[in-house]
Amino acid sequence: MRTLIFPYHKIPAGGPRSALLIDVLKFLLVIGGITWLMVRGTDMLGYNWQWYRVPQYLFSFENNQLKAGPLLDGLMVTFYISGFSLLLALVFGLTTALLRMSNSFLATALARGYLEIIRNTPLLVQLFLIYFVLGPILGIDRLFSAVLALSLFEGAYASEIFRAGIVSVHKGQWEAAYSLGLSSRDTYSRIILPQAIRRILPPLTGQAISLVKDSALVSTIAIYDLTMRGQEIIADTYLAFEIWFTIAGIYLVITVTLSTLVNRMENRFRVAI
Amino acid sequence: MPEKMLGNDIITADKINKTFPNEVQALCDFSTRVRRREVLVIIGPSGSGKSTFLRCLNGLEEIDSGSIVIDGVPLDHKKENRLEIRKEVGMVFQLFNLFPHLTVLDNVSLAQRLVRKKSKKEASETSMELLRKVGIPEKANTFPNHLSGGQQQRVAIARALAMMPKVMLFDEATSALDPEMIGEVLEVMKNLAQEGMTMIVVTHEMGFAREVGDRMIFMEEGEIVEEGSPDQLFTNPKKERTGLFLSQIL
Ligand SMILES: Nc1ncnc2c1ncn2[C@@H]1O[C@H](COP(=O)(O)OP(=O)(O)OP(=O)(O)O)[C@@H](O)[C@H]1O
Ligand SMILES: [Mg+2]
Repeated sequence: MRTLIFPYHKIPAGGPRSALLIDVLKFLLVIGGITWLMVRGTDMLGYNWQWYRVPQYLFSFENNQLKAGPLLDGLMVTFYISGFSLLLALVFGLTTALLRMSNSFLATALARGYLEIIRNTPLLVQLFLIYFVLGPILGIDRLFSAVLALSLFEGAYASEIFRAGIVSVHKGQWEAAYSLGLSSRDTYSRIILPQAIRRILPPLTGQAISLVKDSALVSTIAIYDLTMRGQEIIADTYLAFEIWFTIAGIYLVITVTLSTLVNRMENRFRVAI
Repeated sequence: MPEKMLGNDIITADKINKTFPNEVQALCDFSTRVRRREVLVIIGPSGSGKSTFLRCLNGLEEIDSGSIVIDGVPLDHKKENRLEIRKEVGMVFQLFNLFPHLTVLDNVSLAQRLVRKKSKKEASETSMELLRKVGIPEKANTFPNHLSGGQQQRVAIARALAMMPKVMLFDEATSALDPEMIGEVLEVMKNLAQEGMTMIVVTHEMGFAREVGDRMIFMEEGEIVEEGSPDQLFTNPKKERTGLFLSQIL
């Protein structure tokens, strides 16, 4: 699936554009196949498709004004949570990577502890711990708990991505910067990170995509994101197949857009260096 | 060439020892002094500790014992002393280590602006002057990987000079170059020596050593085997080992 939507490791002779086209075609083929299977299957189940009832949950017209339906409202919440979590995850990730590579024993231990805890427990448990245990103690609300849990989780993975990108920069670059008298801060910001970013961007996009998908878990603490809205509608209407397909489609559009955008950015970086 | 007037000591290395974590002792009680305007050439077989010595001088490697003082500043754990030495000691690496994401001009300007706090304009002017000096002002807006090895190394020299260092260290600056490009880099180094720059040069270029070097050290296994004027070492080595080594590489 990753290769389908983000073909950065194999670029055919036609260049990224035709590669994207081929991937989209392949993708449509797969979707077509699955749809056919589903239609056949649901026919046999005797499922009564009612797609015409879906649009009203996306948007509606009231007094000649376009109004967002519950699914789009939920989408906004998903955007909001994912956006903030992504920003915070980048901060956690970079900070942890720098701490882990520092000379201070305390800093390294701190970073390692954080990574071990986060990577070895399920996100759902972290979310519950933050919301049900830390939340009341620290007095943080539902939304902030969700953002904190997601960003701590994705930040741990982002930190490995940052670290790998940073150590991939040739040792001679550090030495040259050192011998010129650059501070370690300038060395990072002017020399190392600009070179590491090319290596960091592709896997980081993957991580951002994971984040958007993982954000669906916040529905478990009754945040009305896209997934939660969907569940709610299905409970009312029994349109399980139509709504879940719609929701999956929306997530897909977000993640494919994200990877396409970064793909473009990455090409620009490749030219610059 | 008229006899060059050397100044007082600018580098004092006293009994420095360096053992790497893998138990390799790269330097054993290594002591030497370098005077202002002096060009010291260091030769020796692979693994004898030449690079390690240069790297210790600007703090790229930590010494285990002994002392290093550069222009009155001891290389100790004080941050300001260390920074002072990093600023005053320029280094040229075998593999150039130019910053690939910056233009030639930015490579040369960066440290002037960030460390010496010069304005953009002032740094650019100095940089262009230095690029003229190393013979490639027309490449100012090129990225390093569009340059030949010889051109890259000349940019690297200009970049180090931009900090106005008191001492320049050259670690096999021409070893990675195609033969036809060695000359242009040696020429730049020779001019630098003639201008009175204090230099320590690790090299296999014996012609250069003889012509430019004021003093030569032959080292092996982290120790000085013999030192003297290049001519003396070439024509009349006191140690058999020196003669053997020189006869092998000439
Ligand atoms: N970072 C390091 N870790 C472990 N051992 C090292 C390290 N750097 C150098 N050494 C060892 O220290 C010894 C001296 O190395 P050094 O690079 O100073 O030799 P050199 O005289 O510069 O050799 P060459 O002519 O090959 O460049 C060698 O045995 C080398 O293997
Ligand atoms: Mg060496």
